[in-house]
Amino acid sequence: MHTSISRVAAVAAMTAAGALVLAGCAATAPNTPNGAEQGGGGNGTLVVDASFDLATADPNREYETTGSIVAKALYETLLTFEGDDVTEPVAGLADFEMSEDDRVLTLTMESGHTFSDGSEVTVDDAVFSLQRVQGIAGNPSFLLEGVTVEKTSDTTLTLTSETPNPALPFILPNPALSVVNQEVVEENGGSADASDAAEDFLNGTSAGSGPYILDSYDANAEVVFTANPEYSGDAPAYERVVLRNVPGETQQLNVQAGESQIALDLNPDQAAGLDEDAVTLISGASRYVIFLFLNQSEGVSPVTSNPDFLRAVKLGIDYDSIVDLAGEGSVRPGGFIPSLFNGALTADQGNQQDVEAAKEALAASGYAGEEVQLNFPNDITVQGLSLQSVAESVQAQLAEIGVNVSLAPAPVATELDAYRNGTEQIGLWYWGPDFPDPSNYLAFTPGELVGLRAGWTADADPAVKSLADAARAATGDERAAAYEELQVAQNESGPFIPLLQPAQNVATAKSVTSVALNPVWTIDLGATK
Amino acid sequence: MLLLVGVTLVTFVLTNLVPADPVQASLGEQAAANPEIVEAFRERAGLDQPLPVQYVTFLGNLVQGDLGTSQQTRQAVSAELGRAVPATIELALGAIVVSAILGVGLGMIAALKRRSAVDQIIRLVSTIGISIPSFWLALIVYYVFFFQLRLFPGSGRLSAILTPPPTVTGLYTVDSLIAGDMVAFSDALAHLVLPASVLALYTIGLLTRFARSAVLEVLDQDYVRTARAKGLPGRAVLLGYVLRGSLVPIITVMGIAFGSLLSGTVLVENVFSWNGIGQYSYNAATRLDLPAIMGVGLVVGVVYILLNLLVDVLYGVIDPRVRVA
Repeated sequence: MHTSISRVAAVAAMTAAGALVLAGCAATAPNTPNGAEQGGGGNGTLVVDASFDLATADPNREYETTGSIVAKALYETLLTFEGDDVTEPVAGLADFEMSEDDRVLTLTMESGHTFSDGSEVTVDDAVFSLQRVQGIAGNPSFLLEGVTVEKTSDTTLTLTSETPNPALPFILPNPALSVVNQEVVEENGGSADASDAAEDFLNGTSAGSGPYILDSYDANAEVVFTANPEYSGDAPAYERVVLRNVPGETQQLNVQAGESQIALDLNPDQAAGLDEDAVTLISGASRYVIFLFLNQSEGVSPVTSNPDFLRAVKLGIDYDSIVDLAGEGSVRPGGFIPSLFNGALTADQGNQQDVEAAKEALAASGYAGEEVQLNFPNDITVQGLSLQSVAESVQAQLAEIGVNVSLAPAPVATELDAYRNGTEQIGLWYWGPDFPDPSNYLAFTPGELVGLRAGWTADADPAVKSLADAARAATGDERAAAYEELQVAQNESGPFIPLLQPAQNVATAKSVTSVALNPVWTIDLGATK
Repeated sequence: MLLLVGVTLVTFVLTNLVPADPVQASLGEQAAANPEIVEAFRERAGLDQPLPVQYVTFLGNLVQGDLGTSQQTRQAVSAELGRAVPATIELALGAIVVSAILGVGLGMIAALKRRSAVDQIIRLVSTIGISIPSFWLALIVYYVFFFQLRLFPGSGRLSAILTPPPTVTGLYTVDSLIAGDMVAFSDALAHLVLPASVLALYTIGLLTRFARSAVLEVLDQDYVRTARAKGLPGRAVLLGYVLRGSLVPIITVMGIAFGSLLSGTVLVENVFSWNGIGQYSYNAATRLDLPAIMGVGLVVGVVYILLNLLVDVLYGVIDPRVRVA
């Protein structure tokens, strides 16, 4: 009887297995991702895999990497950049002219741009959008801090800055400063002050003039775009784009299997593991700078605030090996301005390793082997690169010159407090530019946003402070030289040690012939072919 | 109801014990340095109020069905959970159905073939199922069955080229059937197989072990021996006596297993880009989105409470002695 009973039980067990097989058969149906016609964006659909940090589809509120991709696809900005060249702003919805004192930027609207509802983009829409960015007091509001936006005629508007602001033309291409359809947004609760309530609407319906319109939006899963028939530029190559939230490990497999056509967030190991017969790898330095800082506040650490100790650390680091660790495409910036921007130093202008000199400086500092703590976030990656591996490398290199570093990793949500409150002894962090202009990096000077996090107060280094003021005031061709001089001085005495720009690795299906990458908005989906 | 309040209180206290400031986690570098923006954020999120006031406000809103607004996305948490929960229910149901059939089936076979090679193999497999970390297994399964063998589709709940069916239940398989869209149905079902199987492996292992011991215990009972002695067919004895007699402990374990499925979804949903409550809670936790974390805690708590209730009801259905008692 046991034989009979077990046969019945076996049948029950096999039923479940049968269900799996049945579903497996379904997976081979023609419409599945592994079907032959899917690869290469079948049916005019482009599938892009990315690791989301998406918070909103409202362009004037977004300030995240994924949010910029979304806003760039749905909206246009007054000025823009050509391809990946961020050294020169060009006309977008408007052409521009800067006054000689760099205080007044005059924008003249270009004709022929229309919103997705068919109405024309006007100077009123532009003024409303920029004032909305300022008024709602969101993440991107600081971009227009100290700037007065005014309509001056039916085709022109001016942006007047309180102080000379040569960076403004480089700020305006930011997708957060996109122009929205004023009438539509106001009809749906929008305003140019804190009472604005249009975000919910804009998370479901786009009100822009970009190459795509919003089809569906889920901040945790995917955003679907369809081509905007009213777009005034070249029609996008794909009728539909699906931007999906996918972890790096599976992005690598998806793009090779033809399930997606673009994988945006591959780390160096994943990039190295790609089958280049199946996909194309685009690898280059990203806009992010990973840096180390030693706190200059004696209250936080009498060790790290010692100038000789600081010098010893700068001389003790093997910069080249850290760049090697980060893989192909990573580069070493000579200063805190990344290699992509005006005013950047070359790697050979940065600090160089000299172990003997480092040991001498350490001896001069009176360091007696005290443990110093290196804090960093361990649950995030920068272009797929784990800060844990960089921290371990720094720890090992400093051990060679006799510095006793203990690693103190923590989740970013908890570590941010210590970093922003300036209580870390040694910190390992990264900086993504708010806009591609060297003035954004004045944050790393004494008394400024990031400087204060390293205990570098306004009066801590008068020489560097004076160079920072000079760089801020410089105009025209003098700017690059002023920022270079500032960085050289910062490398000498400042608490920041720029380590590397990790590579941005993007893999595409062979069917994708042109990928429009850019350091500000990552990828222009409308220009991808 | 008291249990629910307890769940909200525990979630609230634990969430606020995290040594981090949600303002720092939510605002960008520059915005977090602007006192006006920080103040506006605190006021909007209610973080400027003392903790007891925040909790009472939360409870007050909860009574009206309002779970608050996500600090990250500024969307209603209830609306976001309304999208995420059906996805996880679909996944967990798929996993629990497979687990119940395979786990109980294998457990019965192992019991009936006690001390045989089959029994040993099944016990080994169940031990492996319980031991393997689900996130690791998810990656391996994804690599082998999607990438190498191309047997199943990869990320998401539906192929990117397809349009989701109109929402009725939020379960793509069910909604596509309601819409009569068989292409979407087969695609959604195919997408369900790998993540559901990964989730199911642990519960299969668990259920196999419990089913085996439960069946072994029942096989030695007098009423089973009597049934056999009376010459009842093997199938009748198995289904009518052995299985029914073993069901109470099995149902208990299934209740627990379903709960563990929910926690297992956090990592599995991330690997498979399955837009459910696991992925949602992961995002909420890493971004310190307090209302979203509270919402997830509440949903999971409610599910556990309902499961316990369901298990208690099933006891009565299966075993008349419980009803009488």
